[in-house]
Amino acid sequence: MAILNITYGGLSADYQLELDARIPDADLKRIAVEVLRAGNVPGLHLPHVAENAFDDFVIDRLQNGQRIYLRPKVPFG
Amino acid sequence: MRIVICGVGALGSTAAVLCRNLEATLVLVDFDRVESKNLLAQAYVKQSVGKNKAEALKAQLLNFHGVKAEAVGVRLGKDNVEAICGAAELIVDCFDNAASRAVLSEFARAKGKPLLHAAVSGDGTFGLVRWDERFVADAEAKEGQATCEGGEHLPLLGLLGATIARTIQDFVKGGVRRDSMVGLAAVTPT
Repeated sequence: MAILNITYGGLSADYQLELDARIPDADLKRIAVEVLRAGNVPGLHLPHVAENAFDDFVIDRLQNGQRIYLRPKVPFG
Repeated sequence: MRIVICGVGALGSTAAVLCRNLEATLVLVDFDRVESKNLLAQAYVKQSVGKNKAEALKAQLLNFHGVKAEAVGVRLGKDNVEAICGAAELIVDCFDNAASRAVLSEFARAKGKPLLHAAVSGDGTFGLVRWDERFVADAEAKEGQATCEGGEHLPLLGLLGATIARTIQDFVKGGVRRDSMVGLAAVTPT
């Protein structure tokens, strides 16, 4: 069990993952698309989010993997 | 406290202006020059166009706010990081590329110096303020990706600059090391 925080379009929201927190990045990105489309992430309902919306995103696993952040790359300063 | 801010573009210049209340010596590091296109997203005024960014910001802090700072108008690299950051009690990374961020991380870890990173996404909707212990630099999604040159990203840059300044302030006052994510919803519309 872990909390998946998804950031998209400048907005962030949490989703309770009922899966092993060691799930691979690619699966996490696929799950994120599905739960966003289904409206299962309070405050972040994106019914038409693209299948590849998170291809260039980064996943941070913090707090021993209990907090997982799916976020855009931040290369600039 | 001696605080070295590496990179005074969009994030670094905005944060530095908001650090003017601190009882600290601000050292501003940037080799780049102010261009007119920077005026909408960075803390520079028209009179600074053409000047080195570190020198220009130093002059603005003194002339507008009466705050003395130091300027280092060179490109930071492995060969001069010790000279620039060796006396720092806090290093703040606001660079715009992974290679320069890596130089700072390597130096800070070797010397045991506190290093705070700040970074923003190319679309100007999201940013991170994160201490070095938990930071991994991101490469550009696409080489030559557009950066925050126009004014479109200014609101987010303002939020991010304020978050950097607050994080620095908390560290200066009590040694607190807080990470933050900054998005467009940091301020709730009512």
